[in-house]
Amino acid sequence: MASEPSAHDVVLQTRGLSVTFGGLTAVNEVDLDCRAGQLTGLIGPNGAGKTTFIDAVTGFLPNNATGHVELDGTDVFGRPPHTLAHLGLTRTWQTLELFDDITVRENLTVASEPLRLRDFAQDFFRPRKVPDRVEEVITLLDFEDIADRKPRELSQGQRKMVGVGRALTAPDTRVLLLDEPAAGLDKSETEWFGDQLRSLVDGGVSMLLIDHDMGLVLRVCDRIHTLVFGELIASGTPTEIRSNPEVVRAYLGSGEI
Amino acid sequence: MDTIFQPLLFGFGPGAIIAALALGLVVSYRASGVINFGHGAIATYITYVYISLRDDGRYPIPPLPNPFAPIEGIFGIEIIDFPTFIGAPGEGLTFWPALLLSLSTAGLLGIIIHLAVFRPLRYAPTLAKVVASVGIMLMLQAAVVLRFGSRARQSPEIFPAEPVDFFGVRIGQDRFWLLGTVIVTTLVLWGVSRYTRFGVATRAAAENERFATLLGFNADVQAGVSWIVASMLAGLFGILVSPITGATPNFFTLLVVTSLGAALLGSMSSFWIAALAGIGLGMADQLLFRIELDWTWVPDIGIRRALPFLVIAAAMVLRGETMPSRGAVIAERLPDAFAPALTRWRKVLYLAFVTLSLTIVVFAPFEFRSGMQNSMIGVILALSAVIVTGYVGQISLMQMALAGVSAFAVASFGTEAGMPLPLALVLAIAASIAFGLIAALPSLRTRGASLAIITLASGLAIDEIFFQRPGWFGLARTNKSSDAPSLFGIEFGPSSPFVIGDDKIPTPSFGVFVLVMTVLSCIAVMRLRRSRLGQQMLAVRVNERAAAAAGINVAAVKLAAFGLSSAFAGLGGALTAFKLGTYGADSFGIFSSLNVLAFSYLGGIATVGGAVTAGTLFAEGIGIVASNEWIYDVGSYTAYTAGLFLIGTAVYNNEGIDGFQRNQFHGLVNIVRRRRGLGPLDPKATTNG
Repeated sequence: MASEPSAHDVVLQTRGLSVTFGGLTAVNEVDLDCRAGQLTGLIGPNGAGKTTFIDAVTGFLPNNATGHVELDGTDVFGRPPHTLAHLGLTRTWQTLELFDDITVRENLTVASEPLRLRDFAQDFFRPRKVPDRVEEVITLLDFEDIADRKPRELSQGQRKMVGVGRALTAPDTRVLLLDEPAAGLDKSETEWFGDQLRSLVDGGVSMLLIDHDMGLVLRVCDRIHTLVFGELIASGTPTEIRSNPEVVRAYLGSGEI
Repeated sequence: MDTIFQPLLFGFGPGAIIAALALGLVVSYRASGVINFGHGAIATYITYVYISLRDDGRYPIPPLPNPFAPIEGIFGIEIIDFPTFIGAPGEGLTFWPALLLSLSTAGLLGIIIHLAVFRPLRYAPTLAKVVASVGIMLMLQAAVVLRFGSRARQSPEIFPAEPVDFFGVRIGQDRFWLLGTVIVTTLVLWGVSRYTRFGVATRAAAENERFATLLGFNADVQAGVSWIVASMLAGLFGILVSPITGATPNFFTLLVVTSLGAALLGSMSSFWIAALAGIGLGMADQLLFRIELDWTWVPDIGIRRALPFLVIAAAMVLRGETMPSRGAVIAERLPDAFAPALTRWRKVLYLAFVTLSLTIVVFAPFEFRSGMQNSMIGVILALSAVIVTGYVGQISLMQMALAGVSAFAVASFGTEAGMPLPLALVLAIAASIAFGLIAALPSLRTRGASLAIITLASGLAIDEIFFQRPGWFGLARTNKSSDAPSLFGIEFGPSSPFVIGDDKIPTPSFGVFVLVMTVLSCIAVMRLRRSRLGQQMLAVRVNERAAAAAGINVAAVKLAAFGLSSAFAGLGGALTAFKLGTYGADSFGIFSSLNVLAFSYLGGIATVGGAVTAGTLFAEGIGIVASNEWIYDVGSYTAYTAGLFLIGTAVYNNEGIDGFQRNQFHGLVNIVRRRRGLGPLDPKATTNG
């Protein structure tokens, strides 16, 4: 793929990405771009196929998805999830899915690098230090106070940030896919969370934010795509999306705006 | 014609019980999402109750360990003569009263299992459910042996057995009666599930328990009824088949493995496939038996004994993930993989513990020395369970089979081929790892209970193909001998001389060797817990999808866990070989594998401390020796109480003894800290990785 003449190169793009379950098409021919250093939004009413889209992009639906997923211009479609994570395509989960048995620092550490046989042997004799990358993320996200605690001891908002942190710790994060990270947070927590995301993006991280909280998405995103019944119906800046008649209709229909 | 046709017809007998057990497994799985490993043991127990009633009319009650026994043991008095029968010996009952009484017992057993075990475990992780059902299997099996002895029993004729001519084959007509009963039973189960409100509700609950409850179905009542039905089915067919097969403590109990194969072929949900596959497996077994007997040119490589394993592996590879997982909410936690910070105090504590162990190993009387050696080997075996089950959450029921591979291999490589100790030991452990990895392969695509099933089948197959047959390890049902281990000309076997002590066997020299191995193993597993791989294991244990998304190669981590776990099992097996000197397949049978899981879970499945605790509990270990010497001879009750406590641990305290002590200790520390006006113990100090 040729890099576009924009200041922000496309880091992740899907072309003709479809997901079918039996006879049901959940995601239909979606072409979507995420640009480097930007916060891209993907909105849509419940059941629009947003989470299915993320599952397909991150390799969790090998038998149901078709199309292309390009990361930095390389087609990575069809690779298993852990390989995609190593290539820099990471995600969070709507239901969080933190590793509750281990500390926050360990949660970040397991995600920080692929395991090689050599390292494994070395760990037996002389356990390695926690990678710098993990300490950087801990500093970046202000986790110093909670790094040695287990996720279940934290507040919901903190847990959400740990989820983001874990996705960020991958060795070479290119783009972060966030699946409804604000679900379950109250208004002030959501606001705090949005600010955190924005400052991460301003620091150079690329993200795709999926949410049906229009307020959050419109406030923090650079570009927004709208998915309705598995089809992308509109793309544009927050201002354009706000005034797009199709988006308004889709949302008025579901009563969420 | 005769040679093929006859065994196929003979297969109806075993086929009927396999099919009936498979039906029961499907019934209880559909209703409560539990794969009951103890299902075959229910059939065994009820069949023995029935035979006992027919024999002398007495109703046997299970061998409750006399609760006063420890007091009686200490004071040398008998407080109470504990009853084991209801009724006086006399004339045997006739068929119908005996059948009804036995089936009532089966129903009672079913409802007890539901209320006391699986209902409390509704929201527990699969691990706890599988462990509890293994506990049921162990306990009932032990109950049968304790109650009725281990010899085979005959059962009087039920269906008319006069032979009939069937296409030129003379065969007892009871076979056809049995086949008919199985088909009628399947038809009834299928009809009820399909056309009644009860059946529909059970299916709805299997899909989504919460939703079914919202619709006004009482999932709990359905599960209870299903457990009663499943148990009565097991009992009924155990009784009906017993005139043909006879009754032994192991036969029906282990037939659960073959039945699981049949039930898996039906995805744990189809009655018809389960029943037909069960009958087919019975027929295939008889056919292969005949082929191995008659066609001498067919190489005897034990295909027949591998049949259940092959069927289960095939079902898993073919069906992959399609075994329906129930939509129940899992709210409860897995046992904490606690890793204490290595403070100076803790190091001193460990050192003191090792010194104490060394003292016992060297200076204690010989029976204590022997107990200590058994316990230390037990620690290593428990560590193998900690890695695979505690850290990765995969249940392995074949650890002793892997240990056996190494035990026989170390004698082959060392004593027979004359290799020096380190090489023979390394090769023996490598053999265990190879077997462990091969057995784990089919399960990589599945998880949870499936893994327990495949390892149970593998353990059984390894035992029957490699340990109990001539060939492979040159065992031929006889015993194998292993020389004392030695290095640089110094011998340290159980009878090697030692500088001090009474020179009674086992001498301390072997104990010192085992102690060194055990301490090294404990350190290695503690390191593993803190290593990157260990953290990844715990991540995989909690959530495989999230682990994959975090860049963890789930399949590789599982294989690594199996490899490491097999290595420790192999080390334990080789040490067992040295300890025993001469040994046979008995030491490494399937029930000893179940015991490894039982003791490890009881001690604490997810910590090194738990493995050390488990070591003291092992059969003939230091805990048992001490109890025999000072309190009460638990001897024959070991397996029974192990099963009982295993169920209790799974239901009420999945952290095991180690976790219980830890929580008590932390509670105590916090009380002291509060008195002194300090806050509760900082989690930083205890959970730092």
